[in-house]
Amino acid sequence: MSLFSYTKPRALSEALRLLRGGATALAGGTDLVTLVRHGVARPERLVDLTGIEGLRGWSREKGKGIRIGALTPLADLETSAQLAKLLPIVRESLRDAATPQIRNVGTVGGNLLQRNRCWYFRDEGVPCWLKGGTRCFAVDGESRYHAVVGAHECWMVSPSDLAPALIACDAEIEVASSLGRRRMKLADLFVAPQGKRRREHALREGELVAAVRVPEGALERRGTYLKAMERKAWSFAIVSVAASARIREGRARDVRVVLGGVAPVPWRVAAAEKQLEGTALDDNACLAAADTLLDGATPLRDNGYKVTLARELVRRALRSLAG
Amino acid sequence: MSPLRVTKSRDEFEGEIYESTVVVEGRDLAAPRDGAAGDEVGRPRPRVDGRARVTGAAVYTHDLHLAGMLHAAILRSPYARARVKRVDASKAEALPGVRGVLHRFNAPEVEFRQEKALFRDEVRFLGDEVAAVVADSEGLARYALTLIAVEYEVLPHVVDLEEAASPRAPKIDPDGNVHDAGSYTRGDTRRALREAEATIDVTYRTSTQMHNALETHGAVASWDGERLTVWESTQSVFGVRNMLKDALGLAPAQVRVLCEHMGGGFGAKLGTYKYAVIASLFSMRLGRPVRCVLTRREENLAAGNRSATLQRLRLASSGDRITAIEHETWSNSGQGRWAANPTGPTNTLYDVANVSSVAHRVTTNAGALSAFRAPGYVEGTFALESAIDELALRIGVDPLALRRRHARSRTDPRTGNRYSLKRLLDCYTIGAKEIGWSERRAGGTRGSAPHRRRGLGMASQIWGGGGGPPAYATVHFETDGTAVLRVGVQDIGTGTRTAVAQVCADEIGLRLDQVRVRLGDTEAPYGPGSGGSVTLASIGPAVRLAAHDARAKVLRAAAGILEVRAQELRLERGMVVSEGARTPLGDVMKKLDNSTLIGTGLRHPNPDGLALKTFGAHFARVEVDLRTGEIFVEKIVAVHDVGRIVNPLAAASQVQGGIVQALGFALTEERIVDRGLGRVMNANLEWYEIPTAMDVPEIVVRFVGAPDRRANNLGAKGLGEPPIIPAAAAVANAVANATGARVRHAPMTRARVLAALSMAGIA
Repeated sequence: MSLFSYTKPRALSEALRLLRGGATALAGGTDLVTLVRHGVARPERLVDLTGIEGLRGWSREKGKGIRIGALTPLADLETSAQLAKLLPIVRESLRDAATPQIRNVGTVGGNLLQRNRCWYFRDEGVPCWLKGGTRCFAVDGESRYHAVVGAHECWMVSPSDLAPALIACDAEIEVASSLGRRRMKLADLFVAPQGKRRREHALREGELVAAVRVPEGALERRGTYLKAMERKAWSFAIVSVAASARIREGRARDVRVVLGGVAPVPWRVAAAEKQLEGTALDDNACLAAADTLLDGATPLRDNGYKVTLARELVRRALRSLAG
Repeated sequence: MSPLRVTKSRDEFEGEIYESTVVVEGRDLAAPRDGAAGDEVGRPRPRVDGRARVTGAAVYTHDLHLAGMLHAAILRSPYARARVKRVDASKAEALPGVRGVLHRFNAPEVEFRQEKALFRDEVRFLGDEVAAVVADSEGLARYALTLIAVEYEVLPHVVDLEEAASPRAPKIDPDGNVHDAGSYTRGDTRRALREAEATIDVTYRTSTQMHNALETHGAVASWDGERLTVWESTQSVFGVRNMLKDALGLAPAQVRVLCEHMGGGFGAKLGTYKYAVIASLFSMRLGRPVRCVLTRREENLAAGNRSATLQRLRLASSGDRITAIEHETWSNSGQGRWAANPTGPTNTLYDVANVSSVAHRVTTNAGALSAFRAPGYVEGTFALESAIDELALRIGVDPLALRRRHARSRTDPRTGNRYSLKRLLDCYTIGAKEIGWSERRAGGTRGSAPHRRRGLGMASQIWGGGGGPPAYATVHFETDGTAVLRVGVQDIGTGTRTAVAQVCADEIGLRLDQVRVRLGDTEAPYGPGSGGSVTLASIGPAVRLAAHDARAKVLRAAAGILEVRAQELRLERGMVVSEGARTPLGDVMKKLDNSTLIGTGLRHPNPDGLALKTFGAHFARVEVDLRTGEIFVEKIVAVHDVGRIVNPLAAASQVQGGIVQALGFALTEERIVDRGLGRVMNANLEWYEIPTAMDVPEIVVRFVGAPDRRANNLGAKGLGEPPIIPAAAAVANAVANATGARVRHAPMTRARVLAALSMAGIA
């Protein structure tokens, strides 16, 4: 445990100024506090964002889709009947995320920006590559929950349940900094650590996620989220899949398939989605797409089962869209 | 006065028989004839301390904050094996608020678990104690640990059971890592295997399970210059006192150990650990109370576990008889110096003529095992009962029918002694009916969703739980007619406090709320540790005798006050009842001024030449998703034969808790250790997955309920451990029935189920 200063500004501009100066953002704290307690994060200055008005809650503007403030508690999204009608995939993805207590405190922004759950990364006594060390210990170590695809120097997996679901809805994010605002695709927020980039997110120094936007078009698509866990509740995904598509006369259009828990980022392969276009999402088409998604998978010693599991979850998710 | 006599008692504790010398005084009472409930015994009663526990009023060791109390924290080895060359604590000692540092170069000589030093020169597992700091706050103490510089010479280590057992492994013990841990033979298994019509030869594995009691281990020690008082979250106040007095060189009378409430133990708190010695040493040095409680991580590194096992079983059959069982086991004891032998059920459960078993203890650079709720029997039953099903499948016999044929014997095959009571066949009948065993089909049945199969499985349980002497109770009356019951045991969460109050109230003729129980204090006459399912069967009969004695005295006194003959009086729910009159006992007691009536009772020895055992059977209904390997445990039926049930409500809760813990062992709980680093990767509750409420199936609890009249004057036996024993095997057998694939490694994780399905050509 290290010593740090703590500020709770009321204005976003003040928070952004502090972040610009190198402070670390704190929202629900369900991740950051544990990272600090276990000595993995050592922030010198914390900026508590929870005093800022205007970053909480969600709204819909006809024709412009849905905007969700980054400080909105996960529980608010999960329990909103109105949102469940518009975007049921969000509720599906949150229902099995963590616990009700954590969902009450955890925020949308925090969920998207949470660090990975790799046990080597989370153990301060292990100098893993992502923390500046020389190698990934999972490669010849205990790897049952690690990546099977898309990994470079680091084999952690993207842990968020919400991220695959929102990416399957073509979500964008509003990023704020003291220099202004920019918009980016949510999918681009996630980057596989590689080379000089020893991090999971593409935010620049001093930036924060202010809001998530789901375009109107996504509201017209069916979506579903499936998650495999080791137990029936309160587990990170072994494998998860978010899928969405527009079904016209029994044929799929605008298909999105995003895997969680298998790669360092929410895993999406354009070719897999493309090959599903116009199909009836029958078993063969679904499994062929799953194979494309997992093409080039190189499981480690303990996690080959994730490929089997992912293949079946992709099939089930897509089949349920067709049904 | 009745004469004293000195005699021997033979009692079972966790699968082993121990002989001890006991002093007996007076005569025992006969056990009640039938299983009918009394006014209290046999009635479902909420816990007498339930309200205090759920409202937070109950004070646990962790809650204790004494005036002037200091906090100790422990520096633990970051290596699985290393020599401690140098410790520089000067920076920590210089920190304001730090009151002391202990390490191998400055700690006093302490005799602890056959070792001379508290801090080893060669640390032998990641988490081994290297130094300790005491400071004004816990945070400060933990911060000071980071300022201690230790120079280690890292040594080769081995943490994995199978690696450690291989001849190429580094030798942790000078004489090799594999040690004999017991063997047993009857008949001629080699010959039976040779002559058998069918045989199977299968290997099973079970992973290391960790206790993870809600309250981690911890102690508060306070030295007043002459005597040491220790509040400890323990299953055995007397056990802690004896270990501490030896370690610290104190007289028994100088150490008092207290445990009023505790947040779980499951066996891990049966022993004494170094944190208690460290807290005591600091307190004796500084003259202030010192608190030392473990973090969750420490709890999962250095506070015990259920050993991982490798087990090979060979079974032989001819016709419809099992003719031989051969069982060889290897247990990862870490730095423990004993093994929880998994072959107990193999040696005793079934009427099989030829049995041979060999157990090995394997030393590794991991934390020592400790007792864990039915140590050995959980691991062994998983393997044995899986193998029985595999044999049944091989020879085409219903697995329950096969067991029935081998469960009829009236004598314990190991000792030749008759069982005091055995109702295992009744357990089978009750359970089979409740689960719908007749609907079981070889190959399972269709599940409730596509790709799901449903299956039924069952497994049997054998365990001790007869208890024994010594154990004592006293009862005295307050001037208002209420009673104070004093016992030297502790309530580790099983409901002992409520059960002994029921026995006392019932015997005297008081209401339950008129009995106050004092326990968890070594100032009381001796009571046993709460382990081996012995507590109630040991202390309960002593309580009954004490209450009986108190009742006789109070009736005689009442007779004097009311001027009637004692024989004409009886006590009913706190009222003295005579022909035509009911007087509150309090009114009678008031007239006695401060005269105090005291009843005493002790536990008489167990009957000679009888085997006291508990039996049971669990039945499981599961569904398995053949494509994802997900197991859905839908229902468990648990039937136990443990004699008379004192509190049906608490007993059902014991069974439910045991099953939930067994499901963790069966499905998700597994210590994961990186072999290269020698490091536990999931010493937390994130990746060490204990069952959640969502993982708990429908649980049906049934008791045979017949009192074991030969066992003791209550007719009751223990129930702490039986319910964790058979559930994992019942689930494994149900999974095999559902899928046709056998998972031979607990826990049956997704990866293992998918691998087994794939091996069987299913997934």
